[in-house]
Amino acid sequence: MHSIAQKEFVSTLRDKRFLVLSVLVLALLLAATLVGRASYQTLQQERQLAQQTVNDQFRHQPARHPHRVAHYGSFAFRPRSGLSLLDSGVDSFTGTSVFLEAHQQNSVNFSQAQQSGSLIRFGEMTVAFVLQMLVPLLIIFLCFGAFTQERETGTLKLLLSQGVSLRQVAWGKIWGYSRAVALVVAPALALAAALLFGTEEFISGTDLVGRLVLFVLSYAVYFFLFIVGAVVVSAVQASSRAALVTLLGLWILGCIILPKATANLGATLYPAVTKAQMDADVHEEAQHGINGHDPQDQRSAALKAGLLKKYGVDSEEKLPVSVGGIVMSESEAYSAKVYQQHFADLNATYKRQNRLSDWVGLLNPYQAIRPLSMGLAGSDFAHYVHFQQAAEAYRYALVQRLNALQTSMGYGDKERKLDAHTWQQLPLFTYQAPPLGWALPRLLLPVVALLLWAVGLSWLGLRLISNSRLA
Amino acid sequence: MNYILEARDLRKEYPNKLALQGLNLQIEPGEVFCLLGQNGAGKSTTINLFLGFIAPTSGAAFVNGMEVAANPLKIKEHLAYIPENVMLYPHLTGLENLALFSSLAGFKYKEAELLDYLHHAGLPAEAVRRRVGTYSKGMRQKVGIAIAVAKHAKVLLLDEPTSGLDPKASNEFSQLLTQLSAEGTAVLMATHDIFRAKEVGTRVGIMREGELVDVRPTAALNAQELEQLYLTYMHN
Repeated sequence: MHSIAQKEFVSTLRDKRFLVLSVLVLALLLAATLVGRASYQTLQQERQLAQQTVNDQFRHQPARHPHRVAHYGSFAFRPRSGLSLLDSGVDSFTGTSVFLEAHQQNSVNFSQAQQSGSLIRFGEMTVAFVLQMLVPLLIIFLCFGAFTQERETGTLKLLLSQGVSLRQVAWGKIWGYSRAVALVVAPALALAAALLFGTEEFISGTDLVGRLVLFVLSYAVYFFLFIVGAVVVSAVQASSRAALVTLLGLWILGCIILPKATANLGATLYPAVTKAQMDADVHEEAQHGINGHDPQDQRSAALKAGLLKKYGVDSEEKLPVSVGGIVMSESEAYSAKVYQQHFADLNATYKRQNRLSDWVGLLNPYQAIRPLSMGLAGSDFAHYVHFQQAAEAYRYALVQRLNALQTSMGYGDKERKLDAHTWQQLPLFTYQAPPLGWALPRLLLPVVALLLWAVGLSWLGLRLISNSRLA
Repeated sequence: MNYILEARDLRKEYPNKLALQGLNLQIEPGEVFCLLGQNGAGKSTTINLFLGFIAPTSGAAFVNGMEVAANPLKIKEHLAYIPENVMLYPHLTGLENLALFSSLAGFKYKEAELLDYLHHAGLPAEAVRRRVGTYSKGMRQKVGIAIAVAKHAKVLLLDEPTSGLDPKASNEFSQLLTQLSAEGTAVLMATHDIFRAKEVGTRVGIMREGELVDVRPTAALNAQELEQLYLTYMHN
């Protein structure tokens, strides 16, 4: 087996067609890595600067009423994950920042896609794109003649007459092609690792190391599948031409048609409400709660009556707390609850859509590696939702803290202001992306799908090869 | 008697063709058995059945007493095969091709030994480190011969092995076969070359339409008589 692997490896490296193709793919990978790194650094710096600026602005507000500060608000900028330079996932299409204010759960806005030309909608040239789409093409062109060419030229009989089995030949070829593919992909991944870990921020990033290792292993399995698949197709097809056409057909089906069809099917089966519709629904439902800005609101009046009774006083002036602050707090709690319910419903719909695609990963390895790659890179939908929820949790806590400050100001708070120093005591938004341990359970299905493919294809494929004809 | 090659009622049938009908054949160590016959007579089918590349419809082939169908890998330890048109890996040199095929057969030769095999097969020294893609058919055939010899097999299965060789190389190949035969190697050679068969063969068998119609010791016939016998069968 080792001899055949070595022969395939050497023959491949001496084949000018492979050299040209692999140099092209390697150049694309290296370019995508460098561009990804540059883009990551730029965006990260921009977001850090913007976050720092809004934090400074927030903390250096003059003496104000707390509710004014709640409406002044702040921004949360989503930091990019380190591995997003390899797979930007949904990052380019989801927003980068969210405005945090009282009464309102704003959506995350200003995605790269919104701010870029329409070309980004055709997909970015990321490392993941090259690894998921182009390397499989390279593998197809490398392996389609694995057996057909041996049969067509007659070398297979001579090979088998030496006492090796078809199965041994197949494994030798798979190992030889794997080495050739590794030679193309490894430099780009090594460069990415060097870029990642060469900077101060990642020096102690054990989580990142884990993610990168799993990222590399996942793609190793993905490429192995394509190599085994191409070798099997080559063994069972009658000619090199038929093998190439079959493999290209499978590539188009798996990498282009099925993902689009699944996405469309998911959107049809599990329709999601639009942003405008959700905002309208939240607004309408929030009307059923206390309106903190409407003094005529009956529920506010009832709450005020309850407070008077609780404190045993007959007028608002005698209350030790600000009725306005408590009303604001109740209003915020209610609207946040309504929003969370709608947000959970919407997320459940998106999850169902994504889940459908994940299940199709059992049929299509491309749809298994894609969510796995994004998930490990920290650029998938789940990581995005994690940020959204962290931002909302911060917003809610901040607004409620400001409402508590207002409450403690007592009657007549609207005529008074709190000292500028107060705002410097408020916590700032800091975001810690979830660790690998959080992400892994969410990626179980794609992992299982890839492993099932690897085991199943190896077992069934090699059986097919053993039973394939020799001439 | 221990036969190194034996066919018992060996039959191969394709959907539209009877390729081999009830072949019975025994070949002893050191014997050179030449199969003569037109294209499609069943010569290559016989060799492929002994190699286990195709399964018999009925009957059985044996190599060194082992049934081929039951021991497809084991029997190959005893066989070396040279096809009519030896095709090698064009991106590897002649030396690398020989090293590859020898290692698959379980022989790890040093470079000097490999060069020696190639030299004895008649491959020019300047060609051994050239990629096979630049070789002529005759040069590839010589590498094929080196591969077969380097395997030290008990049986050589040859399917038109001198096809593409120049007269000098063909003659050298005949001498090589005679030498191997003297060392105890059995040879089953399918050929159209009646004179080569008479020269190196100990027995010749004439095949027609999948049937072995005659077997003669070559010592009993001269080349003209063999040719006449062959033509008689072909015309009938």
